Amino acid sequence: MYYALLAAEEIAEEPSNPIIPVWNELFWGAISFFLLWALIRYVLLPPVQRAMNDRAATIQADRDAADAAKAQAVSASTELEDQLAGVRAEAASIIEQARSEADAERERLVARAEREVAAMREIAETEIQTEREQAMQALRPQVADLAVGAASKVMNGTVDLGRARPVVNQILNSPN
Amino acid sequence: MFGLEFPSIDNLVKWPSYFGEGTFYGLNKIGIISLIALIVPVLMFHFARKDLVPRGMQNVVELTVEFVEQQIIMPSIGPAGMRYMPLLLSIFLFVFIGNFFEVIPTFQMPANARMANPLILAIVSLVTYVGVGFKHHGFSFLKETIWPSFVPVGLRPLVGLIEFLTVFIIRPFALAVRLFANMLAGHILLVTFGVLCITLFTLSPLVIVLPFSFIMLVLLTAFEMFVSFLQAFVFALLTAVFIDSSLNPAH
Repeated sequence: MYYALLAAEEIAEEPSNPIIPVWNELFWGAISFFLLWALIRYVLLPPVQRAMNDRAATIQADRDAADAAKAQAVSASTELEDQLAGVRAEAASIIEQARSEADAERERLVARAEREVAAMREIAETEIQTEREQAMQALRPQVADLAVGAASKVMNGTVDLGRARPVVNQILNSPN
Repeated sequence: MFGLEFPSIDNLVKWPSYFGEGTFYGLNKIGIISLIALIVPVLMFHFARKDLVPRGMQNVVELTVEFVEQQIIMPSIGPAGMRYMPLLLSIFLFVFIGNFFEVIPTFQMPANARMANPLILAIVSLVTYVGVGFKHHGFSFLKETIWPSFVPVGLRPLVGLIEFLTVFIIRPFALAVRLFANMLAGHILLVTFGVLCITLFTLSPLVIVLPFSFIMLVLLTAFEMFVSFLQAFVFALLTAVFIDSSLNPAH
């Protein structure tokens, strides 16, 4: 019974071909799509793209700034290291100069001290010589007297003091 | 044999109008889905904030825009295709939302299982293809299509005729039918398993098969969601490929 009814319906109404579009669906579909296209083209998409581009630009700017800061830090570090190396070299130079100056000063002082010592030694030797000369001069008559006296005793008083004293003085005055 | 009564194809895809029945402006379920496919993207874009740090709807909108840019425009056209973003984004959203109504309760009908919307989009694709070709290459674009210089002169009329039919008739028709047939097939498949579940639920001897049918119905529903996206992607991608072949005919 049911199939008979179905068959009757099929005879009464021929099924439509689904691949053939119908006008009312074309109408609403076209209106909807073209309106969507126009709205997306002119109203909806531009602000979104602008926001996305702004974000990309901000990210790029931040990244560039970070790169620049990094490069600046590297440059500052390099510059600092250069300065440090310069300072170290300068310190080494100063130390070397101070050392050479100290050496020169020490040599100068040593030389001066040696000169002073030599001068003092010379003065002392001169004084000693003078003292000795004076002592010799002072002792010479007494030594002559003693020598003559001793010789007279040895010779049992036969030594002529008037003749012997000049001989003794001559012996004492000779360098050896 | 099992008392299965499968509805006719007209019962599955042909919908009466809510008003203006029989006129060109009669609004039926397909028309309403088309209008919703217009309204949903408008609301999405409207409620998407334009902040520096995206969140909520802005994420969805930007993800969609980036998807069209990175997966459709850049691989097929390149940076020169960015000017076609509005068209390709519109096609993608319109097709996807229209398709997705296959799995939305109370609607459960993809708008593109009817020929109207796929045909409109295919014509738009064709017109864009021709327009871009004329804009960038002038009349030589049409001449190269119907009188190709890369084949011997004797073969040019035949190859030209084939090229003309391919470019202006077969390709847009294939584009439209691919979308329409896929969505119609998916719709029929879901209806089939839906009808099977209902029928088995009332037939006690075969009720043991019901869980399998129901599982298949659920799995196919998930599959149709994927197909909805895939067909939208394919349609937009092919349109982009056509635009690229129009921009660079030598390729």
